[in-house]
Amino acid sequence: MALAAQPQMPRVWRAETKPHKFCPGCGHGIILKALGEAIDALGIQERTIFGCDIGCSLLSWDFFNLDTIQTHHGRTTPVLVGIKRVRPELVVVSYMGDGGAYAIGAQHLVSSAVRNDLVTIIVVNNTQYGMTGGQMAPTTLPGQKTETTPYGRDVKLTGRPILGPELVAAVAPPGAYVARGSIANVVQLKNFIQKGLLNQIEGRGIAFIEALSACPTNWRTNAAETWRFIEKEMAAYFPTGELRTPGEAKNGQAGEGTPGAPEH
Amino acid sequence: MSVAFKAITTENGKGIFHLFPALCKGCGLCIEKCPVDTIGWAKQLGAFGTPVVEPGHGKPCIACKKCQLVCPDAAIWIERRDGKGRSDSGRQPE
Ligand SMILES: Cc1ncc(C[n+]2csc(CCOP(=O)(O)OP(=O)(O)O)c2C)c(N)n1
Ligand code: SF4
Ligand code: SF4
Ligand code: SF4
Ligand SMILES: [Mg+2]
Repeated sequence: MALAAQPQMPRVWRAETKPHKFCPGCGHGIILKALGEAIDALGIQERTIFGCDIGCSLLSWDFFNLDTIQTHHGRTTPVLVGIKRVRPELVVVSYMGDGGAYAIGAQHLVSSAVRNDLVTIIVVNNTQYGMTGGQMAPTTLPGQKTETTPYGRDVKLTGRPILGPELVAAVAPPGAYVARGSIANVVQLKNFIQKGLLNQIEGRGIAFIEALSACPTNWRTNAAETWRFIEKEMAAYFPTGELRTPGEAKNGQAGEGTPGAPEH
Repeated sequence: MSVAFKAITTENGKGIFHLFPALCKGCGLCIEKCPVDTIGWAKQLGAFGTPVVEPGHGKPCIACKKCQLVCPDAAIWIERRDGKGRSDSGRQPE
């Protein structure tokens, strides 16, 4: 019998909830594809807990065949850390937006980083509050127009965009894995997420991955403008790459891979 | 629970282009990423009543799979006409 062609979704995706709830061209779908492939590659579906935040990340509440919990701005991380402390054999993924991670719930990120909690955090940087209609976030680029910065973000008034991975890399003890990827390089992003999951599984410490993402709905961009904004404007301010790589320590070297990072 | 999606299958250049209209939201991200500009809008409508995509608008497909990689909705599956595509990881036909 000939097999009918079927979509190549990661095995951990829940096919019956597709098409998913994100807008056309939303970066969340690409990032959750990379996460799904990383979970498949590590074979950890049976022991992974997925936590999503408030914001568009919560549209993933039925996305995976995984036990899933949804909490409020940034609290996803401490909730999952609690689960991890009670059930250390589980792998916990804390998935949230830039507003939840860096503004409304920033204290939870900083505290987890300082404690080197065993959790893998993925922050979706789409430069604004997507779900509520595109207000300025700490990640909004200088001059970028949003609902609350109709003339463009004025850095004199509101400061410069926050650099999340650089912040985590500066305060987390040795053992932390920190990287920034982009939906413009899906293969690299999947690799970063997989390494971040492994860092937790091997008990080294916190794993933090920021993913440069797209929100065509609130950016009001067509496909060409969407890619240009991510690859030119966002990439210029938010450099992609690994900031801390404890898994790669060799020959007694620090293996922390943090040029210019403070000594601990 | 198993679900099945219907594909529109088009052979073009080195590729067999499977498009799943029930998943395609017509965002156009794949069109912009195709190195040979073969992807364009089709007559059929997708998940949100917007046009889906099809190959055949530029130079022949080189089966690089960039379109499949960037699609947020897993609406494209590229097989190679030389048969090397079936080894893709992920959900296999049931
Ligand atoms: C304490 C509190 N303030 C405000 C809100 C309203 N609110 C819901 S989602 C959201 C923005 C989320 O933005 P982000 O975390 O960047 O996620 P995105 O939707 O962009 O993916 C806000 C402000 C809320 N739910 N709770
Ligand atoms: S509003 Fe933006 S972030 Fe939210 S689902 Fe739509 S495109 Fe994605
Ligand atoms: S496989 Fe490559 S060449 Fe073929 S349609 Fe997709 S992006 Fe274009
Ligand atoms: S990227 Fe996917 S959803 Fe978007 S137009 Fe192409 S096939 Fe359709
Ligand atoms: Mg956001």
